Amino acid sequence: MALQAAAAVLGLGGMIEPRRLRRETRRRTYSRYAVAVGLVAVANACAYLAGRNLAGANLAMLFLLCVLVSAAAFGIGPALVSAFLAALTYNFFFLEPHYTFRIAHPADLLTFLVFFAVALATGWLAGRARDNERRTAEHAAATTALLDASRALAKTATPDEAAQALAEQIASATSGSAIVLLPGQDGLRLAGAPRGLNALGAGSLEAAEHVWANGEAAPQAERSSEWTFLPLHGVGARVGVVGLRGRLPPRSDDVPDLTSALLEQGGVVIERALLASAASENEALRQADQLRSGLLNSISHDFRTPLTSILGSATTLSDYESELKPSVRRDLLRSIQQDAQRLNQHIGALLDMSRLEGGALRPKQDWTDVREIIGSALRRLGPRLAGRRIERDFAARLSLVRADPTLLEQAILNVLDNAATYTPQGGTIRVAAQEDARNVLIAIEDEGPGIPPDELRSVFDKFKRLRTASDRTGGLGLGLSITKGFVEAMGGRVAAASPLTSAGGARFVISLPKVAETPRGLL
Amino acid sequence: MSFRPRILVIDDEVQIHRFLTPALTASGYESVQATTAAEGLRELAQHPPDAVVLDLGLPDMDGKEALRRAREFYAGPIIILSARDREAEKIGALDGGADDYVEKPFGVGELLARLRVSLRRKPGSGEPAPVVRAGEIEVDLGLGMVRRKGERVRLTPKEFKLLGVLAEGGGKVITHRQLLTAVWGPAHEQDTHYLRVAIGQLRQKLEPDPGVPVHIVTEAGVGYRFLAE
Repeated sequence: MALQAAAAVLGLGGMIEPRRLRRETRRRTYSRYAVAVGLVAVANACAYLAGRNLAGANLAMLFLLCVLVSAAAFGIGPALVSAFLAALTYNFFFLEPHYTFRIAHPADLLTFLVFFAVALATGWLAGRARDNERRTAEHAAATTALLDASRALAKTATPDEAAQALAEQIASATSGSAIVLLPGQDGLRLAGAPRGLNALGAGSLEAAEHVWANGEAAPQAERSSEWTFLPLHGVGARVGVVGLRGRLPPRSDDVPDLTSALLEQGGVVIERALLASAASENEALRQADQLRSGLLNSISHDFRTPLTSILGSATTLSDYESELKPSVRRDLLRSIQQDAQRLNQHIGALLDMSRLEGGALRPKQDWTDVREIIGSALRRLGPRLAGRRIERDFAARLSLVRADPTLLEQAILNVLDNAATYTPQGGTIRVAAQEDARNVLIAIEDEGPGIPPDELRSVFDKFKRLRTASDRTGGLGLGLSITKGFVEAMGGRVAAASPLTSAGGARFVISLPKVAETPRGLL
Repeated sequence: MSFRPRILVIDDEVQIHRFLTPALTASGYESVQATTAAEGLRELAQHPPDAVVLDLGLPDMDGKEALRRAREFYAGPIIILSARDREAEKIGALDGGADDYVEKPFGVGELLARLRVSLRRKPGSGEPAPVVRAGEIEVDLGLGMVRRKGERVRLTPKEFKLLGVLAEGGGKVITHRQLLTAVWGPAHEQDTHYLRVAIGQLRQKLEPDPGVPVHIVTEAGVGYRFLAE
């Protein structure tokens, strides 16, 4: 009878607790009730041993003590069970007539009722205090964990880093494992996962896609994959899907659920990272757009000019072949040749620029003697330098550097070409190759008008030409920026200085780092 | 009528044939045209020409493959046409048996100069001259001796070997790998720094102005040529 009553109360107590409990927690809960029941039994035994000579009120104290202990130790549920049992057993064993639940004396009835009320009140109050305290501790633990998690999340910069941090934090909060999926080019992709997990099974991925599409977790019954997927929301929109595996944390309404807090915060952090990366993509797009419009400008102008001359010369030759003096014919042919070469140079520059912009530039670094490369650049430039004196100042012994010879040749050639453009006929171009403790330096000086101080800084920018000389030069304004791009791709630096004298002039320096030890051959 | 060397031009661009054919004819060659690799290889097998000009960018076959097949039965000079920014392609073709290359776009003069060098070096057209002269320099390959302005120049064995390989090329480009393999052995085919240092020393000893080499000429990223002038 007593056992049945206890079982009923137990069932009731079980319903007060959160419904979705972990199995272990449930086992612990049962043992708490068992101990509470045991304590009542102990109280009964003590009361029995103390003898019936104890006054009724004193006996009641003993039982109240037992209720109080249960309440303080195990919380409200066990406390109430203990109160019921204590009242019933008190009645059964110690109120006359003994061994019945009946009460003979009206005074005893009053004692019983008061005892019952006090036991309930004691149990309830003490139990609530204990439960509150425990909840406070849980709050504190959750807050600490959340704080740690936000610190970890705040350190991340990219969406993938944030996803990885979130997966780790959720995993450690639930002592299970967690994955984070973010939308990619084609469907969701694994962005954060425990070490060693690189791909999801098709079934899991499908389940995740479903959650991503619907924006809510699938009903428990329909879950077929090993992961439980939940949508991840940012402030504005859905940002991804989280998969949980292993023990799920209890979900109650009043205890703050660490996992859902983490999901919320992680969602916001990932959203922020996504927005930031979109912003930098936008910036890259804007620059690409600027480059494209620059290219269009230059193609329409710089390509049409030589083409016009080629077409004009060629049609003149074909239409008036017999009427032209031989010297005029030669002139026209020469201008076709020169302009075709200029076009070829433009195309080369555009190709170089697109290699740089496309990020496809992989310098083939090799042991290089820069004097040799300067020589071949001078030779390739040949006719462009006609009429200018070339003064060379090369160190007799010069360390080899690691550089891509073809890129370096083009880089030097562009600077020489620039020098030829601005140095008037009869002027001098000085080319030096020297080294200091750390770098091999290539310096090229021209006798041009010099670069105004406010333009010096932007001299390596794309499509930059001196304002005063824009039409005369016939270049694309890409040469120096290609030089800068190539040299930096090889680990070097470029610099410009001007004016050199009161008459102007400019100096461009390409510096390439020396490798710690220059190898000496087996000679 | 004097002997007119036959040149087979394999290129899919009609415009190239349009100016090359008259230019070759005017320079004393007989020009044969092919617009696909298959057609070119057939012509090469049926009527072996004295030299071949092969565009590496043919529509029906990878240029390297066309070169490999041609080399299975044709030993004469092959000059390839390639774009400037394709070093790897050029080096691959040179190491794969091409004699020389011309970068597109090219002037006719340049191509004809390469052709002349290659035809001079054509196998069977005579033993390589034991003495190679270039300006002030005289390289006696047989005696292993080098003179500059008639005076003997002391070279290390490696330097002489290197100079010999270059001079025997008679003006055609020799890749870094070919030079390193020939002079230092196959184990050193990546050790370009040996080559840089040795070339620098050769220029110091032989060039009138080592800063502006006119005999040992750099083809950046590809190799070196030895030019008589």
